[in-house]
Amino acid sequence: MARIVVDPVTRIEGHLRIDVEVNGGTVQKSWASGQMWRGIEIILQGRDPRDAWLFTQRFCGVCTTVHAITSVRAVENALGLEIPMNAQYIRNMILIAHAMHDHIVHFYHLSALDWVDITSALQADPVATSRLAESLSPWPYNSVQSMRATKAKLESIVASGQLGIFANGYWGHPAMKLPPEVNLLAVNHYLQALDYQRKANQIVTILGSKTPNIQNLAVGGVVNAINLDNQATLNMTKLYQIKDLLDEVLAFVQQVYIPDILAIGSLYPEWLGYGAGVKNYLAVPDLPLDTAGTQFDLMGGTIMNGDVSTVKPISRFGDEYFRDNVEESIAHSWYDGSDSRHPYDGETVPNYTDFQDDGKYSWVKSPRFAGEPMQVGPLAQILVGYAQGHELTVKWVDTALSELSSRTGVNVGVGHVQSTLGRHAARALRCAIIGDLALKHWGLLVENIGSGDTDIFNAPVFPRGEQRGFGFHEAPRGALSHWVVIENGKIKNYQAVVPTTWNASPRDAGGQIGPYEASLLGNPVADAERPLEVLRTVHSFDPCLACAIHTLDVDGNEIAKVRAL
Amino acid sequence: MPAVTVFGLGNILMADDGLGPYVIKVLEAAYVFPPEVEILDAGTPGMELSTILEDSGALIIVDTVRSDGSSGELRTYRRDDVLKHPPAQRITPHDPGLKETLLVLELQGETPPEVYVIGVIPERVDYGVGLTDVVRAAVPGAVAEIIAELERLGYPAEARVPPADPDIWWERQPKA
Repeated sequence: MARIVVDPVTRIEGHLRIDVEVNGGTVQKSWASGQMWRGIEIILQGRDPRDAWLFTQRFCGVCTTVHAITSVRAVENALGLEIPMNAQYIRNMILIAHAMHDHIVHFYHLSALDWVDITSALQADPVATSRLAESLSPWPYNSVQSMRATKAKLESIVASGQLGIFANGYWGHPAMKLPPEVNLLAVNHYLQALDYQRKANQIVTILGSKTPNIQNLAVGGVVNAINLDNQATLNMTKLYQIKDLLDEVLAFVQQVYIPDILAIGSLYPEWLGYGAGVKNYLAVPDLPLDTAGTQFDLMGGTIMNGDVSTVKPISRFGDEYFRDNVEESIAHSWYDGSDSRHPYDGETVPNYTDFQDDGKYSWVKSPRFAGEPMQVGPLAQILVGYAQGHELTVKWVDTALSELSSRTGVNVGVGHVQSTLGRHAARALRCAIIGDLALKHWGLLVENIGSGDTDIFNAPVFPRGEQRGFGFHEAPRGALSHWVVIENGKIKNYQAVVPTTWNASPRDAGGQIGPYEASLLGNPVADAERPLEVLRTVHSFDPCLACAIHTLDVDGNEIAKVRAL
Repeated sequence: MPAVTVFGLGNILMADDGLGPYVIKVLEAAYVFPPEVEILDAGTPGMELSTILEDSGALIIVDTVRSDGSSGELRTYRRDDVLKHPPAQRITPHDPGLKETLLVLELQGETPPEVYVIGVIPERVDYGVGLTDVVRAAVPGAVAEIIAELERLGYPAEARVPPADPDIWWERQPKA
């Protein structure tokens, strides 16, 4: 029995730590541990609820807009405050553009190199690579010259003796299986993706005034003044700039991201069999279509035990089924006590004990839904939508399943999507779905403004006494909720239950393991010193845990520690 | 496209890690900058940093820095210092930081002409709002480094008359 610890010490405090016990080349036992405590909620106590979003968007430098919008939704829910349609559409477009940026970065820049071997790409024939690319997609930028340029760039990086951004990959690992041409194609698209993630982010900048931290929100709506004839406000020029950027990013998703996922996925069919883990799924509805949040363009709900027929909808802001079933256990987390609490009553009192396999071993709490661990993220959202017949989801999922089936010769069904590779595919499909919806919401916004409605804000009123509310958002990493208790116009309690907490949760009071932990069981590990397969499954969730600090380390202490004990 | 971007990195919710955004607010209050210079509180971005950097010329970055020495001491670096060691294994989207972003820009042939990092060794990096006294005392030194570098690059800032109060909104105590 060998124990492998993946313990990145990339910043001053630790991040996510994964421990696995391997026997006979397969993971037998696993632990996921958050190595940094979250005391964020305490900072908010006593503050003005109208300012909460300015603080929550600093929770995490990657998920800024996500925490900002969820926070204003929570306060609006507590006050029973509806917001104007223009504000909904503007927020929706920001959320989508941010998510498209995030999904593209996650696949190409943070996880593709788990599957793509840079060094093998050096053996590729640029002509054959271009021909292969043109057989997969009508994308116009797959020319021989482009592939040749990418190969030359790689050659010069390797010749310099320094792999630059590509240092520290598991090159030549036995689990890398793509032919050289697919590797070169993927590296070429890695470079192209850099441009398109920026374009997506430019949309956030136009609507949010600034990134990474947007400026245009308010409890009650947005502050984007609308006047189609005024240079300084949201006008037709800016709206068409957004539309052009959206068209470009969506074309990239449809003609590059999805074909790449299908091409790479069909060459790793065994990974449709690993990594399912917890098969309970939770997604919240998003992209509201009315002022109160009762109609949505993305569906929410739960699925238990991987059985789509168990789907139960979560259908509106303030939904009781969601509100009444969320609890967080601290039985195995470094907090005082071992109870489970509803987020309105949540506490954050640290009690560090060191890493105890059978005791407390993580700063992450264990959220549970009706007592069950739940997987959240694009896969959960896709399955919940599919189970309820969401038209766009059904269209994209069925197309992808039939494509994968014809390429692998295996009848790939919804069961296979519940896997490491399935999570990547679901993220790509979600990216295409929300891209279509961004165009729809752009059209709705233009139409609404055209009808003469320029309202953007309803002023909040804080009555004496106590109000409780929660807001949710189907974020790039899954269901995010903020819970606020307001007393006499001040924040009394604030808790954020973030997607990675659901997925990276440690064991609960009943000993049930969390989704990361469950997904690693049965994973192969060919080389304990280079646990590429462990990273493949953990990366497939798109972990976002550290969320906080940015101390620069010029002296080179930034290494991910991988220890095989 | 700005000729120079000055940006503060760090998290205002993590005590001394909020140095970068704090220095940006002090700069905005005390100086007037030529139109070619952009001043930005960038928070703690991952790959989004590349969106900020791609359109810029020279970069001046202020951040906390892990280094031997005492809390509050200033350290400065040029581009090659930052890139001396290879980047870390990627685990989460936060792992791409300044170093990774500079390497990505290099891969795209968009390397910024000048990079100057002004770092301060923190005392406390943990949940809470507000700089420790020793790091707060280092702020004028960091500001002076930035002003001197702007002058060297040919885009000098002018003192704002009269100076404004820095808008450190996150340090304002909630009213009772």
